[in-house]
Amino acid sequence: MIQHYLILSIILFCLGILGVISRRNVFTVFMSIELMLNAANLAFITFSRLHLSMDGQVLALLVMAVAAAEAALALAVVILLHKHKGNLDTNVFSLLKG
Amino acid sequence: MFAEWLFYVFSVLSVLGAVGLVLFRHPMSGAMSLIVTMISLAGLYALLSAKLIFVLQLIVYAGAIMSLILFIIMFLNIQTSDLPEEKGKLYFLAGGVVLLLPIASFLIKVVKSLPGSEATIVGKGFGGVKEVGLVLFQDWLLPFEIVSILLLVSLIGAVVLAGKRRVGK
Repeated sequence: MIQHYLILSIILFCLGILGVISRRNVFTVFMSIELMLNAANLAFITFSRLHLSMDGQVLALLVMAVAAAEAALALAVVILLHKHKGNLDTNVFSLLKG
Repeated sequence: MFAEWLFYVFSVLSVLGAVGLVLFRHPMSGAMSLIVTMISLAGLYALLSAKLIFVLQLIVYAGAIMSLILFIIMFLNIQTSDLPEEKGKLYFLAGGVVLLLPIASFLIKVVKSLPGSEATIVGKGFGGVKEVGLVLFQDWLLPFEIVSILLLVSLIGAVVLAGKRRVGK
């Protein structure tokens, strides 16, 4: 039964990767990254339940904090890019191209 | 038996939310379906008897982070005409499925060879605030401090990035 949780986590992670590689909307790409973080959290908590140790839950807690920091920074960057380009397409944001 | 039934309901809901996030065109609909995924994942955490993480998933993820994203989406006032045209979306999706299917099937095979156990709910002394807090502040004190510094840095960075720049000009 506990393997089903891990399989669900794999499926969610693959859906997140699909969202990142197939979409061109900045918000959708960002939310797909959040989805991948959530899938990793599910795997952490499943292993924590499997081994009956709480280290996995602490790691999930830290991942949540990192996701909150990432959300704050990434949304600031998205606002700036939208102000400069007036667009949400990820292909427009190629300022670092050499 | 009831827990198993709940697991299937929550997992189907979370997969449907994730598929909706990938397929919906407008980011607002995508964010709404991602909230469905987050809430059903919180239910799964409760089934795995991680009580503190269940509450935090609801408060931090489904509450704070998603409302921040929704706030920014509404703040930018995105119309359907502003959205990028995604002509090659289906090709990218098909290519991604072709790329990810072998990896996912390999991982599922690996997972199935793990020693299984019943996912019954553990009662007292596991996953509550006190137990997780003890582990967090005894064994994981240094990572906790590093994460707090990371939060501070991202806070300052967000203020610097998105703040007004009129003074400099």
